[in-house]
Amino acid sequence: MNNKRSMITVLLLLIAVTVSACGGGTSNQGSEGAKDAEKEKVLRFATWDTGDSLKVQQDIAKLFEQQHPGVKVQIEPYADGFDQKLAASFGAGNPPDVMLMWDFPTYYTNLEPLDSFITKDASLKLDDIYESLFHYVKVDGQTYGLPSGFTSRAIYYNKKMFDDAGVPYPKDGWTWDDFRAAAKKLSNPAKKQYGFGVRTINDPYDMQGFVWSNGGSFVSKDGKEIEGYMNSPETAQSIQLFGDMLKDGSATLAGGKNQLSGDDVFKAGKIAMWESGVWPLESFKAAKVDFGTVEMPAFTGKPVKGIIALSAISVAKQSKQKDLAWEFTKFFISNEAIKMRSNADLPIRKSIVKEMGFDQNPLYIPFYHMLERSDDTPSFLLNSNWKLVNRYLSTAIDSVMLGENAQDVLNAAVKDAKKYVEK
Amino acid sequence: MRYASGSLLRLESTSNKKATETEQNASKGSVTPYFPQTKWPLIADRRPCKNAYILTTMKPQQVQYTARAEQHLKGTIDMESIKKRTSARWKQASIPYLFTMPWIIGFLAFTLGPLIFSLIISFYEWPVIGQKTFIGLANYKEMFTSDPLFWTSLTVTLKFAALFVPLNIIVALLLAMLLNQNVKGSGIFRTAFYLPSVISGVALAMIWAWVFDGEYGILNYILSVFGIEGPKWLISTTWAPVAMVIASLWGQGTMMLIFLAGLKNIPKDMYEASSIDGAGKWKQFTRITLPMLSPTILFNLITTIIAAFQQLTLALVMTGGGPTNSTYFYAMYMYENAFKYSKMGYSSANAWFMFAIVLALTMLVFKSSSAWVYYEGEMKHGKR
Repeated sequence: MNNKRSMITVLLLLIAVTVSACGGGTSNQGSEGAKDAEKEKVLRFATWDTGDSLKVQQDIAKLFEQQHPGVKVQIEPYADGFDQKLAASFGAGNPPDVMLMWDFPTYYTNLEPLDSFITKDASLKLDDIYESLFHYVKVDGQTYGLPSGFTSRAIYYNKKMFDDAGVPYPKDGWTWDDFRAAAKKLSNPAKKQYGFGVRTINDPYDMQGFVWSNGGSFVSKDGKEIEGYMNSPETAQSIQLFGDMLKDGSATLAGGKNQLSGDDVFKAGKIAMWESGVWPLESFKAAKVDFGTVEMPAFTGKPVKGIIALSAISVAKQSKQKDLAWEFTKFFISNEAIKMRSNADLPIRKSIVKEMGFDQNPLYIPFYHMLERSDDTPSFLLNSNWKLVNRYLSTAIDSVMLGENAQDVLNAAVKDAKKYVEK
Repeated sequence: MRYASGSLLRLESTSNKKATETEQNASKGSVTPYFPQTKWPLIADRRPCKNAYILTTMKPQQVQYTARAEQHLKGTIDMESIKKRTSARWKQASIPYLFTMPWIIGFLAFTLGPLIFSLIISFYEWPVIGQKTFIGLANYKEMFTSDPLFWTSLTVTLKFAALFVPLNIIVALLLAMLLNQNVKGSGIFRTAFYLPSVISGVALAMIWAWVFDGEYGILNYILSVFGIEGPKWLISTTWAPVAMVIASLWGQGTMMLIFLAGLKNIPKDMYEASSIDGAGKWKQFTRITLPMLSPTILFNLITTIIAAFQQLTLALVMTGGGPTNSTYFYAMYMYENAFKYSKMGYSSANAWFMFAIVLALTMLVFKSSSAWVYYEGEMKHGKR
């Protein structure tokens, strides 16, 4: 009998171990956290960054720990799984205290509105931050995050290829006609060399700059209508432009999932012009490409508009230490931290841009010029169902690059996706 | 059963007699009926008449009970010992289950539980962040009536399966037959052909993504050596699905191994006998190899069909479902609904529909198998 009883106990223990092993991560933290409650406060910070950018954020966290004795910042790098892991943590009621954020329409109900903190804290000097960035962190007039970094988009061009083809370098204020003429001269399909690289997989978000520049948009200002917007002649024309360039051989398709990226093709000197954010700039420098940057071209007679990719920092509504979380948030956009991050994120404070000479560096000037031109609101902030519309829109745009007619596929996409915006 | 019911009939015919006797016994105060409302006292009161016929027609356990009932009637029954014995028996029976408990709990908690949960959740709208709302069959209705992507992904998957399933079986069988030759170094080839199945799906997909690169991929380089200008595989709506099939075929070493084992199982004397009868290689293949291998083919066919419908990794890593949804497999559509668009309820409905399709196809294959699968030792009516 005794033997059996001990056997059962062992079995039950085994079960307990197996079951708890799966929830191990959190329960361990919980018990440790409780033990160290008096000694140390743990602040959880979720980031999507990896590699060097992550390392910089770890340094920032360390600095914060030094300035706030008794606080430990636990960085949780969610990397590619950021959205999934964040959504799951909110769903499970166990979110990080502070997190990087961009998709405010999806998460704002779980985020702490920061307006009251902002008004209490004059040390923030918010007027030092570029105003247009605040478009991206507000939902229904409430501020749910502070901008921490951004990039606008510009054209990179390979100076050597321009010289070889005898084409003058592009200048700010150029038009798409100039762009196409230059691309044509720079192309030499026999040598597999092209004027411009068009992405195989396009994020409609990034295309909004072109669409706005042509006076179009994907969605009405109130976010409730895509018929006549997403398929307007202006929108279609701005996308057709790239399809046409691919057809006449002045551009080539670049990139694709796990294919040689457009950045690499540009580095290899196979495309003379490449459109992107600030991200590849350092790597182009490292690859010793002789390149310049220039503002986006204009559609004749229309103002150039830009789109911003913004990263912000937010506090979770469920956080039990909001004051500490706010301290970290503030620290993350302090002069000190911005300077540390300046290799990955363009500085968001005017004073630092001046101090670090970003406004004198010809490679960076176009990005700040494009920032000033980015005062339109991107569609995902206008309609909470935008993701579902985007699914159809991105397929439509990609198919234009594969030779379809933009107007036709956009009409079809509107027909399929209409029901999501009207909800 | 026949005997038992016969005995019962006879038992019942004497039930009146029993009733009176029990009453008598009760009034005497000597005996308490063991199971007053059951038939046992009937048998008990049959015993004294020593009817040999009834005893022989009773099942052994009935005899046992009869003996116990007799004991009971005599007042010698020990209720404690019965209780002890049953509890000991229960303990003995439960031990294997206790030992398998970790896995049973694992199965219940991590397989059956989520399975049932997904079935329930398929009747809800659940955006993960936020409340679950019961919407009945609306998810299933939306799928069939107002979601073009559902049909797109279903078509893509069916086309893929139509190409992949037969090719996979043929290639695996051919490889297995080649490996079955008695050639020096066949072990090396066996390892080489099996190796890809050891590589994780994502790594395999990454390798193929590079192989298929339109400008710089090795495949197009090899083609260019022969003067063929290869297509831009993964960014062409025509060739991307083909690329998926090719990449999937590469990782089928397991299937090849199963075929190989099946081939080795075919008795050599069959081939010898047939060659004496003058059968050529082709005849041997169609008349001996294929029929003898048909149970293996059935198994491989079913697993391939299931694998084809679950294909996700390749598309996820190599194309992301593109270009323009040409490789947007059903599994990927389901995955994106759940994890990209946070429509858990809808995605669960998708999953259950896929389950239904796979179940239907598997049943169809099983049904058809009686016509073409031959099991050794099985006699077919009217034949042989």
